[in-house]
Amino acid sequence: MNRRTVLCCLAAAVLLPALTATALSLGQVAMSPATALRALFGFGQGGDVLVVREFRAPRVLAALIAGGALAVSGRLLQRLFRNPLASPDVIGVTGGASFGAVLLLALGASQLMIPLAALGGGLVAAGLLGGFAWRSRAAVGRLVLVGLAVQAGLAAAVNLMIVRFPAELASSALQWTTGSLYGRTWTEVRAGGTAVAVLLVAALLLDRRAAVLDLGDESAGGLGLRPDRARLQILLLAIALASLAAALSGPVGFVALAVPHLVRLLAGPPTPGTLLLTALTGALLLLGADVLVLHLLPLRGLPVGAATATLGAPWLLFLLTRHDRSAP
Amino acid sequence: MRNQLATRRLRLRYSDRTVVDGLDLALPGGAITAVVGPNACGKSTLLRGLARLLDPTAGSVTLDGADLHRMPARALAKRLGLLPQQPVTPEAITVEGLVRLGRHPHQRLLSPWSAADQQAVERALHRTGTTELRDQPVDRLSGGQRQRAWIALTLAQDTELLLLDEPTTFLDLRHQLDVLDLVADLHRELGRTVVMVLHDLGQAARYADHLVVLHQGRLAAAGPPGEVLDAELVERVFEVPCQVVPDPETGTPLVIPRARRIS
Repeated sequence: MNRRTVLCCLAAAVLLPALTATALSLGQVAMSPATALRALFGFGQGGDVLVVREFRAPRVLAALIAGGALAVSGRLLQRLFRNPLASPDVIGVTGGASFGAVLLLALGASQLMIPLAALGGGLVAAGLLGGFAWRSRAAVGRLVLVGLAVQAGLAAAVNLMIVRFPAELASSALQWTTGSLYGRTWTEVRAGGTAVAVLLVAALLLDRRAAVLDLGDESAGGLGLRPDRARLQILLLAIALASLAAALSGPVGFVALAVPHLVRLLAGPPTPGTLLLTALTGALLLLGADVLVLHLLPLRGLPVGAATATLGAPWLLFLLTRHDRSAP
Repeated sequence: MRNQLATRRLRLRYSDRTVVDGLDLALPGGAITAVVGPNACGKSTLLRGLARLLDPTAGSVTLDGADLHRMPARALAKRLGLLPQQPVTPEAITVEGLVRLGRHPHQRLLSPWSAADQQAVERALHRTGTTELRDQPVDRLSGGQRQRAWIALTLAQDTELLLLDEPTTFLDLRHQLDVLDLVADLHRELGRTVVMVLHDLGQAARYADHLVVLHQGRLAAAGPPGEVLDAELVERVFEVPCQVVPDPETGTPLVIPRARRIS
């Protein structure tokens, strides 16, 4: 791990509890960040504890978990496809999650089922992707093209359903498909957090294989790695992370795309250390965006996905101009 | 003799065409073999088949009598290393970072980087003269330095067999000779078995103990260069009228194409 990575990780490790405490302290019942942090662990006045633990903590933790999962998913995909624009939004996973959730809303299922539907939808989209692209031994470019087609088709289906919905259903569906952290529960946060933690460890373990894959299929094969199998493992991991994130936060855009670039800018090329930094940065970014829409912007009730997209678009343009300048 | 690669009625094909057809070969262990032939004769494809990057559609490849395609990938990668013709250099990777990846077949999912791993990397860097370059990004190196870094990666893999696909392409004469001398040293001092694809017949004859000449996916000739390389063969395989004279330096065969007569 190089020095810049260590410094950035340290900075993130300081910022993360600070931002978490701030997020927990903001709201109608005002308190100091320190009080909020104590209340999170059950200390302090009963009222504070109730507000922090029951109302604020699930949302804050969901933002951290989903942000980290999205960012790592984006990094895995960008490295796998050797394409800086690869992300779960592009290859259809996010579209699948929206489709699953909205379909269940249309069928009148309870709100509780929606995260599961999103997870299922993401996996189904991944299955479609695999079915169309994997047969041809997964030429990487083809995988991205098929992913774009899957994403476009699913997005169209979601729009069709929303247009056909009665007004109040349509508005809750629209809210969901923009990406929102509203109304998360401890059950969802516990389940999602555990799953994401396990997948992050898996991503760290697979990092060595990803580095060998970077050498191209021939060299990787010569080093005893089966490139197709390793690619499939990494792809499944990225899809599972993105689907879990979508289950917690809805299809939040741009975090998966933008964070890996930001980390590369800060800490250099990919190592296991920067993988950790990617997770921390993603968590910080999504929580920061949520604090922004919830407490700082005059326009209350904006879904967090709208904020990340608004921030993400200029960031993407900045990356492009930077790329143009560095190109010969 | 160990490290003997052999093929039996080997057929290798891509989805649309057969490239190698019915090839029977025995490559001597403990020797340097050069594979030569005109463009598109199947040289690189054969090397891919020998490294198990391509599954045969018929026939088999054996290593010391054992079917290559039944060996576990990792076990094979401990015995046989490959340098592809155009390897992909990851962005911003350092020479040492690249060479360390050569240890992949020796590492388990949870095993930490060991002293033996580091020693193998140091030896590989030293042997290829890249120790001073270890912290440099590979994509900023000259062609010759970069090729030595890649050879260091295959050396760190610590295999007795090395397959090199056109290791001298894109290099100037000085660096071509550097790479070939390095290969000769690996054979002479470390006893490595080498199979390499080359374009230059004179260099192949100088550096190889065993020459394999391919023509349209089939074997045209095989044996010691001094015995197999003659004017008749070159004219038949490469369609170049020539004379073959002894190399004034080494006595090995040297191909001199005939001058074009303008009538």
